[in-house]
Amino acid sequence: MNTNDKLINDLAPQKFGKLGVIWTSTLIVIIIIGIIAYIDQVIKGQVVTNMRDYALWGIYISNFVFFVATSFVGSVTVAILRLTNNTWRTPLVRIAEIITLAAIAMAGITIMLDMGRPDRLIYLFIYARLQSPITWDVIIIPSFLVISFLLLYFPLLPDLAILKDHFKEKNPVLSKWYGKLSLNWRGSDKQKALQAKSIKIIALMIIPLSLILQTIDAWLFSTTYRIGWDSTNFGGYFIAGAFVAGLGALVTIIYIVRRVYKLEDYITEFHFDKIGKLLVLACLTYLYFNINEYLLPAYTASVDEATHLNTLFSGSYAIPFWTVTIGGIILPIIILLFKKGRKPLPMFIIGLIVVLSSWWKRYIIVTPTLLHPFLPIQGVPESWRHYFPSLHEWAITTATLAMALLIITLLVRFLPIIPIQRTADEQELLKTTKTIEP
Amino acid sequence: MKKHLNFHPIFIAFVSVALLGASFQNLYAQKAKNTVRLKAKYVKIMDGEIYFDIAAAAKVGKQNLDVSHVDIYAYNEVNDEEIELGKTTTNAKGESKFVLPNLNALKPDSTNTYTVNFSFKGNDTLKKASKSLSFKNADIKAKIITKDSINYISATLIDTDSTSPLTKTILNIQVNRLFKSLPIGDEYNYTDENGTIFVPIEEGIPGVDGILTLEVVLKESNDYGTVKAFVKAPVGVPSVEESTFDERTMWSPRNKTPWFLLIYPNILIFITWGLFVYLIINLFKISKS
Repeated sequence: MNTNDKLINDLAPQKFGKLGVIWTSTLIVIIIIGIIAYIDQVIKGQVVTNMRDYALWGIYISNFVFFVATSFVGSVTVAILRLTNNTWRTPLVRIAEIITLAAIAMAGITIMLDMGRPDRLIYLFIYARLQSPITWDVIIIPSFLVISFLLLYFPLLPDLAILKDHFKEKNPVLSKWYGKLSLNWRGSDKQKALQAKSIKIIALMIIPLSLILQTIDAWLFSTTYRIGWDSTNFGGYFIAGAFVAGLGALVTIIYIVRRVYKLEDYITEFHFDKIGKLLVLACLTYLYFNINEYLLPAYTASVDEATHLNTLFSGSYAIPFWTVTIGGIILPIIILLFKKGRKPLPMFIIGLIVVLSSWWKRYIIVTPTLLHPFLPIQGVPESWRHYFPSLHEWAITTATLAMALLIITLLVRFLPIIPIQRTADEQELLKTTKTIEP
Repeated sequence: MKKHLNFHPIFIAFVSVALLGASFQNLYAQKAKNTVRLKAKYVKIMDGEIYFDIAAAAKVGKQNLDVSHVDIYAYNEVNDEEIELGKTTTNAKGESKFVLPNLNALKPDSTNTYTVNFSFKGNDTLKKASKSLSFKNADIKAKIITKDSINYISATLIDTDSTSPLTKTILNIQVNRLFKSLPIGDEYNYTDENGTIFVPIEEGIPGVDGILTLEVVLKESNDYGTVKAFVKAPVGVPSVEESTFDERTMWSPRNKTPWFLLIYPNILIFITWGLFVYLIINLFKISKS
């Protein structure tokens, strides 16, 4: 078997093992439960949720913000590392692209789950008011979905052509699909030139688009004058948070994929080391914005602001607040600063903690503010003063997370998770360089 | 048996009193009515309405509650004679306004004092109550005077029936505003020997087209009640309409979106989606080449 055949064999999509089948089935069951809960929510109305007059944004919106944040990973690992000529990105980019696509698709779906009347979705377009950040969101999410798809698809073309040939005898049906999706890719100079030019445009486009996406997401909150949201820091704060959330998700999934598909030769400790350093940078940036976001208001706090901050620092939200701050920002900085901390397993654990913290961080951003309105809460049932998601909300939200994981799982199942052509080109280059060297 | 019934007379008397007291208490508890308190104020607007502001409240337990939707009858009392004037009904807040067509509807006594009695006849839960109000008729004559380019309001307070000026009486000067009148001048403006006050009007008070409605008020006088005179005069600064209703603002409806917000985001959307179209065309080109 020559090097190229080995490469294709190693990197071509593989059938699920028993664990993969169990994993996929579990996700499908969770999704079905979520769909049932959602149908019930549509029939009975949002009374089945625990959102009321005050906590009118709940777990759905925090989940939406989490998905939007996670989608930032494509821009970081693919576009920024590409434009800065960081070649170590190669085995990581495809997974980053897949996460980006899954996350932004689920962000779009999640926001619809929060609508009391989903049948009126079209009104968002028909009656769009450009002054509203909601309209900006309605514009940017489909745009980002398109760019995320193109970001994944263009570099895939040569690999799809390779897979077409690879599966010609083993699985003709699959081979046919790969053939169709490869758009007759033959690797001609014209095709290569068109592809390179397109990828360059996408890489350039996705950076401002993802910055706009994260900023609009932040402005959804900061344009409301609410305590805890009314901050000029919010755009940068959200971008930094997305930087952390995206990289956390990337590290976690890379580790799992590497283990399951036995890709230790391709995704090496060197890559974990590099991405670990990038995560430290992200966490430090996020820490800086967190200090800006909490310390300055604490120093100059009005009575209402102080009440809000006390709830976070020492009140009813203190445990989740400090857990996500320490677990999601401080702990990764400390551990990943050490070389041993940037080994695959510690990185996986840190990545997982970062992802969980990122999710809860959005919950901390969304909920406490809503429970601190300017006018006192009065004349309403006691339960309206608090918010914790109902069973319906948990079921639906868990289903969206499962759906994102299912999209990732299916794409990992049917697409080469490490770019085959590019890896081959780089190895060829490496070989050539070594030959030239004395 | 006889032995058992042989109670001490003092004991029997004590038990009887206790039982009787208890039965009365029970009777009282069943039929206890709450006391109603009526309040009434006489208000005269020069060249305008003459009316009485009436309020009814009852003390229930330790709370003062408004007595709503009850009828209050008004009587003019003259020399032990009661002339019914009409009735009014309290609103949800226990308040009511009883308007007189004019003061001639009332008969004064020999001292030119008018007495009006407001009476609530009681019902199943509330005791009857009444409130008597006595007042004389007073007039305020107000006008604007300009002296050395300064505007003044001059007002004279007189007893209408005797036509004698009312001296050393406090009159309030205020400008009519949307929610609450704005006091101007000194805190206490005492009338002089002619029953007159003379108060400068501050410059720069905004009004629609510069017209101010100035109020001269004799407030809740024991003898004359409340008397108000209004003078409209162009002595203010025309107020500037600050409405952005017809402007293109961030808070306008969609048909009044600011131009910059229509132009720049649409340019960005056009460029972005134009590039998407270009990239998709590239996909076609790749498939055809």
